Order: sequence, then structure tokens, then C-alpha cells
Amino acid sequence: MTAPDPDRLNDLGKKLAELQTRHAAGPKRQPPSQSGIAFRFTTELVASLVVGGGLGWGIDWLFGHFGFHTRPVFLIVFFMLGIAAGIRNVMRAAKEINAEIASPRSSETEDGKE
Amino acid sequence: MALNPMEQFTIKPLIAEPLFAIAGHPIYFTNQALLMIIVVVASSLFLTLAVKPGRLVPTRGQSMAEISYEFVANMIHSATGEDGLKFFPFVFTLFMFVLCSNFFGMIPGSFTVTSQIAVTLALACLVMLIVIITGFAKHGLRFFMLFVPKAPIYILPLLVVIELISFCSRPISLSVRLFANMLAGHTLLAVFAGFVVSLGAAGGLLAPLSVAPLLLIVGILLLEFLVAFLQAYVFAILTCIYLNEALHLHDHH
Repeated sequence: MTAPDPDRLNDLGKKLAELQTRHAAGPKRQPPSQSGIAFRFTTELVASLVVGGGLGWGIDWLFGHFGFHTRPVFLIVFFMLGIAAGIRNVMRAAKEINAEIASPRSSETEDGKE
Repeated sequence: MALNPMEQFTIKPLIAEPLFAIAGHPIYFTNQALLMIIVVVASSLFLTLAVKPGRLVPTRGQSMAEISYEFVANMIHSATGEDGLKFFPFVFTLFMFVLCSNFFGMIPGSFTVTSQIAVTLALACLVMLIVIITGFAKHGLRFFMLFVPKAPIYILPLLVVIELISFCSRPISLSVRLFANMLAGHTLLAVFAGFVVSLGAAGGLLAPLSVAPLLLIVGILLLEFLVAFLQAYVFAILTCIYLNEALHLHDHH
């Protein structure tokens, strides 16, 4: 039954504090792979196109059901809106990925100072 | 021998008799259902048994379970902040299910559950449903502000429609990403395996060449393990990002 080594206790205390600050700051994430980014952008773009086109087609179908022949008009308009939404999605995804790449490094340097 | 690379994705009933019928549609017990049950049972058994001893110095199994717990907890914490941790059980289950499905699919001769768009779309729709319910529960009708970006009033109608389309495209992009990655990877493996067989069967000078695609398969297989993990991660992190938007609306952007 020896008294606890103060050095060891200090060491443990330091480790614990480090863990707690890391928990508060959030984890360090690895930046996603290049092909992962490319695939993410593609799906975002294509999915919006499909939803936009599908929505337009559905509205045309609905109007056609009630006797208004708008057939290609809404399809074209919503397809273009779909393109816009897709580009918006890609921009948002790029922002997220940028933040993901930028944030771990900044938190790491802060940890280092601590 | 059939060398159809898509053959591995066919859903076959394992029991000839349908289990029951829903509105006249017979429901069979398929290889898909079997693999899903295996995935769920195996992952929950592993996680509960691994942390059962609760040792201070963890065994290999326990530390695997703890690492996966901490990984997901950190992911939610960094993407949504403190109040997102309420959703830990949901995100963790989702992550483990997708991860284990992907890894069980890597066993030769088994079946990849996540290579079926029906499964991934159902998962993505579940995510969107929870996002919408969370948004309405937390913000009430103010949740619709998610579709109203900061912009001059005269282009707002156009932007609202665009935001709406963008929101509706999420379940599709979420599900197609996982499904297409798994489908493409496994098809690629099967195609190259077909090359090995057909070059070997050609005989003569061509037979030794069959080593080349075999070596390539080893490389692709390693890549597939990476993709299996990465896609589970992407699915979970996007769930967190969508939950974050529902929780905090535009506060963080």
C-alpha cells in the first residue's frame, strides 16, 4: 500500500483533461476520398434532376387528367428547376466537405496550444 | 457455369410456400430476408456479448464495440451538437445495420442486402420521415422556414420551389449512393472473376494470362472493404446533417 505517485496522477489528470477538451471540440475526421466526393456530387445532381423532372411530369399528368393539355410545359420548367436545385445541392455538399476538411486541422492546432 | 455478373443480386424465395399474403400479394421468405435477419441478429449479439464483461481493460471484442460506439457518438456530436445525441440509438442502429450488411455481403457466396434499392430507399425514407417529424415537433410550422432562404422577395417563390425539389431529392440521392456503390463494386468483382474463368477455359497461351484479373480482383476486393465502411459512414453522417438542419433550421449556416 504505497501512496499514489503524484507524477502518475498528474499524468492521468492531464490525459483526462485532454480527452474532455477533445470531446467538447468534436472528433478529427479524415477528409473523404476523391472518388467519394465525385460520387456524392453526381448523385446529388442526378437525384434533383429526377425529382424535378418527375414532379413536372406528374403535374402535367394531373392537368391532362382534368382536360388541360399542358404536356411538355411543366416537365420542361420543373426539369430546369431540378437543374437549379441540383446545383444548389452540389454547392451545399461542397460547403460541407470544405468544412469537414478545414475544421479538424483548426481544432488540432488549438489542442496543440492547450 | 452461368457467368452472369448480375445473377448474384437476384432475390430467390428460400421456402417455396409464401409465408402470408398482404392484399393478395404473396410474401415469401427470401435470401434477402434471411441475410437481413442474420445481420440484425449477428450485430446485436456481438455488441451485447462484447460489452457484457465490462472490463476496465477491454478485450478485443469489447474494444471493437466501444470504438464503434465512440465513433458514432463523436460523429453525431460534431455534426449536430449536444442535443443531437438524443438520436444516438437511431443513428447507431442505422450505421451498424448498413455496415454489417456491407461486410456480410463481402463474404463470398452471400448476398448484399444494401445492393437492393428497395432496402436503401426504405432506410432513406425512414431517415426523412424522422427528420420531418423532428422538425415539426421542435419548431411546429416554423419548420417550413427550412425552405425559405434569405433572399430578396421577388425571387423567393422560385427559390422555395428549388429548395423543395432539393429537399425531395435527398431520400433518392441518399439511397442511390449506397445502392449504386454496392451494386457497382460487386458487379465489378463478378465481371473480373468471369475473366479469370473464361481465360482459363480458353487454354493454350491464354490460360496463364488469367492470373492478371485474379490479381486485380485482390486489389478491388480490398477497395470494396474500404467502400463498405465508407458508404456506411456517409449514410450515417448525412443522416446527422439532415437531422441537424431539422433541429437547428438555419442557425448553423
